[in-house]
Amino acid sequence: MSTWTFARALFATNLRAALALRGAFLIQALFMLINNLTFFIVWWVLLRRVPDLRGWRLDDIEVLFGITATSFGLVVAVAGGVRHLGRAIEEGELDTLLTQPKPTLLYALGMRSNASGVGDMVSGVLFLVMSGHLTLTSAPLLVVLILASAATFLGCGIVFHSLPFWLSRTETVSRQLWELTITFAIYPEPLFGGALRLLLFTAIPAGFVAYLPARMLRDPSPVTLAASVGAALAYVAIAVWVFDRGVRRYTSGSRFVAFG
Amino acid sequence: MSTAPAIRLQELTRTFRVAPTTVVRAVDRLTLSVVPGERVAFIGPNGAGKSTTLKVLSGILHPDSGEATVLGYVPWRDRRRLAFEIGTVFGQRSQLWYHLPPRATFALLAHVYEVDPSVHRRRLASLVEAFDLGACLDTPVRQLSLGQRMRAEIVASLLHAPRVLFLDEPTIGLDVSAKATIRGLLRAQSQDGHATLLLTSHDTGDIEHVCERVVILHQGRVLWDGSIDGLRRRFMKTKRLTLWSEAERLTLDLPGARVLAARPHVTEIALDPRKTAVGALVDAACRQGLLHDLTIEDTPLDEVIRDIYGEAAGHGS
Amino acid sequence: MTPRVGKYVAFGRVGASQALGNRAELGGRMAFVAIILGVFSSLWQAVAEHGLPIAADRAALVWYLAATEWIVLTVPAAHVDIEREIRTGDVTCHLTRPFSYPLALASQGIGMIFVRAPFVGVAAFVCGVVFTGTAPSITLLARFVPFAFMAMLLVYGLHVVIGLLAFWLTDVTPVFWIAQKLLFVLGGLMLPLTLYPDWMQRLAHFTPFPAMLGGPAGLLVPATAPDTVRLARDLAVWIVVMAMAARALFERAVRTLQVSGG
Repeated sequence: MSTWTFARALFATNLRAALALRGAFLIQALFMLINNLTFFIVWWVLLRRVPDLRGWRLDDIEVLFGITATSFGLVVAVAGGVRHLGRAIEEGELDTLLTQPKPTLLYALGMRSNASGVGDMVSGVLFLVMSGHLTLTSAPLLVVLILASAATFLGCGIVFHSLPFWLSRTETVSRQLWELTITFAIYPEPLFGGALRLLLFTAIPAGFVAYLPARMLRDPSPVTLAASVGAALAYVAIAVWVFDRGVRRYTSGSRFVAFG
Repeated sequence: MSTAPAIRLQELTRTFRVAPTTVVRAVDRLTLSVVPGERVAFIGPNGAGKSTTLKVLSGILHPDSGEATVLGYVPWRDRRRLAFEIGTVFGQRSQLWYHLPPRATFALLAHVYEVDPSVHRRRLASLVEAFDLGACLDTPVRQLSLGQRMRAEIVASLLHAPRVLFLDEPTIGLDVSAKATIRGLLRAQSQDGHATLLLTSHDTGDIEHVCERVVILHQGRVLWDGSIDGLRRRFMKTKRLTLWSEAERLTLDLPGARVLAARPHVTEIALDPRKTAVGALVDAACRQGLLHDLTIEDTPLDEVIRDIYGEAAGHGS
Repeated sequence: MTPRVGKYVAFGRVGASQALGNRAELGGRMAFVAIILGVFSSLWQAVAEHGLPIAADRAALVWYLAATEWIVLTVPAAHVDIEREIRTGDVTCHLTRPFSYPLALASQGIGMIFVRAPFVGVAAFVCGVVFTGTAPSITLLARFVPFAFMAMLLVYGLHVVIGLLAFWLTDVTPVFWIAQKLLFVLGGLMLPLTLYPDWMQRLAHFTPFPAMLGGPAGLLVPATAPDTVRLARDLAVWIVVMAMAARALFERAVRTLQVSGG
């Protein structure tokens, strides 16, 4: 239970740190909200001229944006340390965490927060409202779907940003893989087929982050829901395992570390 | 108090592959023991193995071979349990949250180390008083001076009353008065709390004012392990004399005497007292005219250490 | 070449070697071009399935995107480096030296663009061919490339202006997000502006964004080819405006630094 108390204390401290610069917090949140809404205009323009993209209409794209933005924002706001993980590994910042008696991954994830995540979440909710799929009855389901999506996002983010445990100077690649997942997550599923679709349900899990939850709203089915939640658990489990192996390698000193 | 060593290293070895065909022995069959409550300084040039040893002892690095125990735990095996008993201060890294006041970091650390709230409050109050952090406790860390930040870092590492404290370059970058303050506080904390201190540094002032024992490392091996006085007595070969004379120039051509610098009326001499006694040199100077002033100093500690390295290098290790 | 010009050429070389050294970044942008062209090739295919006039020339729309993405992805994110230099105070070192910081930034940017453009361009061209099975004629390309370079300069100028705002704002990244999205939307990154509602097109033409993307890219799409003279004029005017803005901001910043000591 002390891990849970610690997690709560860590999250509270993280939130406090994010709010410490009140003005910057508001600007980051607000501008990210505007950023997302502005970007969506292109879709709005296109889907006024075209009835649908292989069955996906404007409200379906709004759902896609809604889920992706909300879950991504959640990860960035609550477990923002995931984006910094690569740098922490490369520059030895894990040392301080490793000498303290609490789970290193949890600690590393909860040490950073970005106010832009809040902007993402607000924009996500707005998209969901615009789509008409956010109702009192659908809200609980949406919460589950978004949590599952966020967990998958977090899981694959941890794996991408743990690459520096094994390879040097992969910080850029980690970031690019992460951004690739987001890129694919905001385009309708029917655009992709064959081998690419396989990729999107495995290594770059935009499928589990965005397509399955969106499918769930268009065409509810217990199988889809189970797959979303199952995938989330699987990605988190894999992430924890990968990170643990990474820490073993880190402490064995097999990476070249500056010594003195 | 227990007589079992707080820290014990036995033939500890750690190598690193720094290039495809180059392996460096950062720590080479290191063997030593530290008694509870002792304050030990690890000094050495870059690459001597100081930080590597500290990393192994704090459990974040596995050795290639050899044994080590800290408070009875094997650091890399019992890292979690050991973590409750040790504190670490890495001079170039901070564990303070940058945008928050130190108090917020301290509160979080109380959860990390599972310290009872009333115990935490009491300990925090006494540490804040000892380290004079009352004024900065509620100021965001980014607004604190380097000296204040360092004091807060050390308080952070002491909050859970660790039995062993590892400090890696704790006074780096600090000005003279800040260094003096920190050194005094570390010494006092160790004495009061009976904490064992292991400190690495490039600054000989840290050694002289905090620790009683110094271990000099060179290429992963122990070059000297003993008290500071012992170090001076063993290796001190020269005295440094500065003479202010009536005469514009002094001629002091005596065995073991080397003129380091000569300005009109001021002469600096390095003297090996085994060849010519100090008194004999002073007599020789007095015979050339009135001596206005005279200072006699021991060789500075860094020079002593530099000589030791020089000797070691000369022996082709 | 006078020593005066020589020093800025040297800055250009620095920019070029920086770009060459950052292979992961270069590779990432090339990969991204490939991916985005693939996605949109599929998207325009899906649109074409409706048999509507807007997607009549699917190949042209994909080449349009290849052109806009080439421009966007070649230009380095100068605002990040400028912000860091200002934040850390490194910029004050530059002030004591005998060169113009804005000109140096411009030279460095040109150097980086000269290195990145071929790599990203080749990737865009190859993918364009792969996904459409066609290629624009040499004449079209020959007309397009110079305009594209001018557009890259203009986009770079925008990044510099945003970066210079770091003298006054604690964090310019949020400003960059909005500016970039406005560029994407009002510049017609993914859709030619001709597909937008009239009122949006009119609004867009008050901004520099169409000249940055849609204008030059339109040269590759025969159906929507803009008036080259007008485009050249627009680009020239906006480049001058951007350069003046950068210079004004910088001078204001220096004065503020001198008065209040940073």
